[in-house]
Amino acid sequence: MRILIVEDSARLQRTLSLALRKSGYVVDLAGDGEEGQWLAESHDYDVIVLDIMLPKRDGLAVLDALRRQGRTTHVLLLTARDTLADRVQGLRAGADDYLVKPFALDELLARVDALCRRAYGAKQSRLVVSDLEIDTLARRAIRAGQPLDLTAREYNLLEYLARRRGQIVARSEIEEHIYDDQVDPMSNVVDSAICTLRKKLAVANDTPLIHTRRGFGYVLEAPAAAAVSVS
Amino acid sequence: MNSLRRRLTRDVLAISAALLGGSLAALYFAARSELQEQFDAALRAKALAVGAVVGEDEGRTHLEAGADLLPGPVGAPPQDFYEAWDANGASLARSPSLGTADLPAFAGSLVQPGFWNLKLPNGQAGRAIGVSYPARPENGERGPRRPRSEIRLVVASSREDFDEELAALLGIAGACGVLLLGATLWTVPRVLRRGLAPLDRLGEQVAQIDADNLSARFPATGLPQELEPICGRLNALVARLEVSLARERQFSADLAHELRTPLAELRSLAECTLKWPETRDAATDRETLAIARQMETLVASMLSLARGEHGRLTARREPIAVDALAREVWQQFAARAEAHGLRAVLTLGPATAAADPTLLRSIFANLFDNAVDHAPAGAVIDLTVEAGPSGVTVRVANPADNLAPADLEKLFDRFWRKESARSDGQHSGLGLPLARMFATAMGWKLTAALDGERRLVFTLAGPADG
Repeated sequence: MRILIVEDSARLQRTLSLALRKSGYVVDLAGDGEEGQWLAESHDYDVIVLDIMLPKRDGLAVLDALRRQGRTTHVLLLTARDTLADRVQGLRAGADDYLVKPFALDELLARVDALCRRAYGAKQSRLVVSDLEIDTLARRAIRAGQPLDLTAREYNLLEYLARRRGQIVARSEIEEHIYDDQVDPMSNVVDSAICTLRKKLAVANDTPLIHTRRGFGYVLEAPAAAAVSVS
Repeated sequence: MNSLRRRLTRDVLAISAALLGGSLAALYFAARSELQEQFDAALRAKALAVGAVVGEDEGRTHLEAGADLLPGPVGAPPQDFYEAWDANGASLARSPSLGTADLPAFAGSLVQPGFWNLKLPNGQAGRAIGVSYPARPENGERGPRRPRSEIRLVVASSREDFDEELAALLGIAGACGVLLLGATLWTVPRVLRRGLAPLDRLGEQVAQIDADNLSARFPATGLPQELEPICGRLNALVARLEVSLARERQFSADLAHELRTPLAELRSLAECTLKWPETRDAATDRETLAIARQMETLVASMLSLARGEHGRLTARREPIAVDALAREVWQQFAARAEAHGLRAVLTLGPATAAADPTLLRSIFANLFDNAVDHAPAGAVIDLTVEAGPSGVTVRVANPADNLAPADLEKLFDRFWRKESARSDGQHSGLGLPLARMFATAMGWKLTAALDGERRLVFTLAGPADG
């Protein structure tokens, strides 16, 4: 999951990005409204954590611009403005959530997680695809009752595919949501990560869950569904 | 409860009752006096009628005609009584109605007859007239004048009708009084209620004013003339309250906002290190210390402002070499200015002024800090100190392309920044308000202006030494 933090406090940028990265998110940072808007327009983020009082461009102006462009990215307003009028104004401007500073880190992470789930139409933090179960809060995956030994990035890739189960996910989308900007577009980092993930998923049950759609990308789905979609 | 309407009602009713009672009493006594005069005039006429027929005959006074000179209506009880005496007290004439009783033999003169009330022989209340007059000659008597004897005549009449009339008059006056008093009692509260209705409405409007609707105003037109100035004053008061409360609310919100961001930084930093202890290092501790210092600076500035606003900021006045102090304080900022690519031009003429060295140093630090942080890279900061006949002037000027003339007065507002973002941790937005407050406390003046080259120029002017 890729998150954009638009926050002018360098200290908050550091702690928020640390907490989100530790929680398995890919994080981009912006220190003012103009840079934040540019990044939001340039990437497909799962959630944007947006301060309101920002240098160069107000957070609400950024949000308004994004909504006018038809962007539906979930936005969490994180601000020191705490009055009812401020909250109403923020939510009416198109924000999906509102959190007042100072905040509990766990609450912020839970809200970001909820917005990510909502981005993929899920209500629960537990994803199930056939005999694969993923607990997104504990960041744990189990197949056929056997826990999978995954690195953080492998887990992120599996969770992303599971959130979009049944849908073809392009390599570029995986790069966008799982990897940060340092990934070389010409590298086969996605393919090799998928390959590793397949091997780890086959340890408990060798029935494949991740299927390749040549020229399109990958799809994670139950074997029966895969058979139907292929036929 | 002290009610204006109740007090007015009570006073108006009391005054109305007193005036009404007095008027009716005066009317009654005037009528009574008039009736009594009429009664007495009738008595006098009766006395004249009786006296006219009493004559003198051979040294004796006697009645000239019939037995009853004042006969009443036939069949009715006698109402009039008379009796006449000669100088020796011998009865000359008496009305048959007296029977065996006598009338008291009091008498006045013809000019001033005596009148008195008495109880008549028939038991009724009566009124009598007594006159004393000389007997007239008998039947055209001629010859030498001789001493004429005195006749005393008392005529009395029953007061029954007179008293009944007075009682009726008193009854009518009393009834009128009660009726008028009742009408006043009924009318006055209603008239007062109607008359004071605008005051009641104004009171209701005042009662509805609270902290949440201070934008409401009282109607300035359509009011009684007496209430218009009150409304005007109330509107002015509410307007002042609105401005004051808005300022206080803005200040509270700003203060809360200023504290929320460092608190959020502190909390998230602590939670991160607790959640992922391996991320804690010396830099984390330095961050924590920096946040604590930032909050400490904010609180110290707030305390200084609060002291100043409550008049508890005392400034010493002693001769200070302003140029030397300005140079010394600037040295603390020179390295930072150089790091920002700024060039400073110092024109420091010798100048001594009366000031508080601590406060003046703080003002310089705020002005220099502001110039170094807000001047664009490569800009020139001009620092001038000069002494003139009217005192010492210090100018700090730096380019400020993003400032508009309308921003100048806001520069000295608490928590104001050109950019609304407030979480850089470097500027609390209290430096310039504090600098102005310190200047004022010393009797100096700190102003800001934009010159023709769009440079922000702070001018600090103080009196010369002594």
